[in-house]
Amino acid sequence: MLALKNVMTHYGSIRVLRNMNMTAGKGEITCLLGSNGAGKTTTIKTIIGLVKPSEGEVLFEGQRIDNLNTPQIVQKGIAIVPEGRRVFPKLSVEDNLLIGACMIDDKKRIEKNLLKSYELFPRLGERKTQVAGTLSGGEQQMLAMCRALMSEPKLLLMDEPSLGLAPILIKEIFDTIVRINKEDGTTILLIEQNAHKAIAIADRVYVLQKGEIVMESHGEDTLSKERIENAYLHKTVDKAV
Amino acid sequence: MDFSVVIQQLINALTLGSMYSLVAVGFTLFFGVIDLINFAHGEIYMLGAFVGLITVGFFAGTGMLASHFILVLFIVLIVAMVVSGLAGAIIERAIIRPMRGASDLMMLLLTLGVSIIIREGVMIFYPNGANPQAFPDLFPGGSVNLMGIVLKYEQMFVIGFALLMVLLLHVLVNKTKYGRYMLAISQDREAAMMMGIDINKIITFTFIVGSALGAAGGVMNGMYYNIIKFNMGFLIGIKGFSAAVVGGLGNIYGAIVGGFLLGFLEMFAAAFIPGGSQYQDVIGFAIVILFLVFKPSGIFNEKVYEKV
Ligand SMILES: Nc1ncnc2c1ncn2[C@@H]1O[C@H](COP(=O)(O)OP(=O)(O)OP(=O)(O)O)[C@@H](O)[C@H]1O
Ligand SMILES: [Mg+2]
Repeated sequence: MLALKNVMTHYGSIRVLRNMNMTAGKGEITCLLGSNGAGKTTTIKTIIGLVKPSEGEVLFEGQRIDNLNTPQIVQKGIAIVPEGRRVFPKLSVEDNLLIGACMIDDKKRIEKNLLKSYELFPRLGERKTQVAGTLSGGEQQMLAMCRALMSEPKLLLMDEPSLGLAPILIKEIFDTIVRINKEDGTTILLIEQNAHKAIAIADRVYVLQKGEIVMESHGEDTLSKERIENAYLHKTVDKAV
Repeated sequence: MDFSVVIQQLINALTLGSMYSLVAVGFTLFFGVIDLINFAHGEIYMLGAFVGLITVGFFAGTGMLASHFILVLFIVLIVAMVVSGLAGAIIERAIIRPMRGASDLMMLLLTLGVSIIIREGVMIFYPNGANPQAFPDLFPGGSVNLMGIVLKYEQMFVIGFALLMVLLLHVLVNKTKYGRYMLAISQDREAAMMMGIDINKIITFTFIVGSALGAAGGVMNGMYYNIIKFNMGFLIGIKGFSAAVVGGLGNIYGAIVGGFLLGFLEMFAAAFIPGGSQYQDVIGFAIVILFLVFKPSGIFNEKVYEKV
């Protein structure tokens, strides 16, 4: 569904991604791990067209999208839950959701998607007129997720959706990710610091280090999943000590 | 103090405030969507007045000025707003957009440059443009006299039209998707892009709206004072900017309130402080300086701008 081929991305003269090859299979959950500053967010920004790769190709459903602008890419069916949620703080919950649906003209479909959001997270329904800036962190994360889903994406990019949340909420978010994936068949590219949980639900796992993929595993290859988990957790432990 | 004098001044202040508000709204809209302080905006007001004058000229010989003056008035306003709205769009598209991302100082100089071009352009190319131009009286002279308070038709029209524009703007911003996108862009431009909003389109649209409102103010100025001049945009630009700062740059309602507040302060200074009319124009600047020093977020606590 999504493929990055030899992608290289720069900020000015600083190279952030190098020779990046990655695939997210249709209907799968792909997980991208990496420590702070590895280039995970940059990968997502490259996919969504906020930064342009200086080399390589980004393919979506077999077509190149790296030469399109962001609205065109979103139009193709890619939506994003950005790092840090980025809800519009002075707009109401419902207005935030409506902005997520800016690609859809059909009022009935928008209405249906709104109801679906409120069904997914009833708390949002209870607060639909509240301005998003006064929601709790967890509620904002729910809103950011539903806002992305409003466009009925084929591919959902999620940048650290569990960051800063209490364990019970993290579980709710992960359950929802699985649900979106299983029930709607939405392909998911998930960036996480929470490696253990992410690996548990992932079909593919990539580990990014200093802008390069250093490890990957796919499918039922549980052994390599374990290896990644060990290596990754080990490394994180190393850093913490 | 005579009560009816106060009311009279209040009405005069509302008239003045209406014009300021129409200009201030543009400043706040532009700042909201692209953090730009557009010093060419005052010239759009002047341009609106001149386009209005030219449009009035078309009706001069027809007798319609006398028989259908309300219709003429609306046509003049609409033509001025459309032409100036397009001028605003062209400025945004051709000059401001290519420079997006440049430093704030650069952008400031750029809009100042544009303002000089427009101002001098009108002076040079409008026939006898260096001199004041008479703007015909569109209203058959007249007024309503309510218990000693004189309400001129012009004033009723200026205030009424400004309120109508405020209402339409309110509906646009809060009830339509374009308004929602404008708000989203002003709160988090990158997030708005990530959602797939075509921000360039919305930014151009914002310039059309802001410029059209400013031009309406210019036409009001012409029909109220019956005289316009190529350099009228300079002072109004600074006053509109002041009003927007007082209300909190980026806050639409703040700009409207700021515009009326400035109108009131100026009118009352002129009316009730001995010799105050000489200082009328200074008041705006004094207030804006006070706000910048003590409350840069304005009365409505808009995002404090660390920009200029
Ligand atoms: N706009 C930018 N300009 C210059 N450098 C940037 C920019 N954005 C990110 N970088 C740099 O690129 C590198 C990768 O950043 P990125 O945000 O992709 O990391 P990340 O893997 O998402 O990290 P984190 O887990 O902390 O979110 C970092 O060294 C960062 O400083
Ligand atoms: Mg990141």
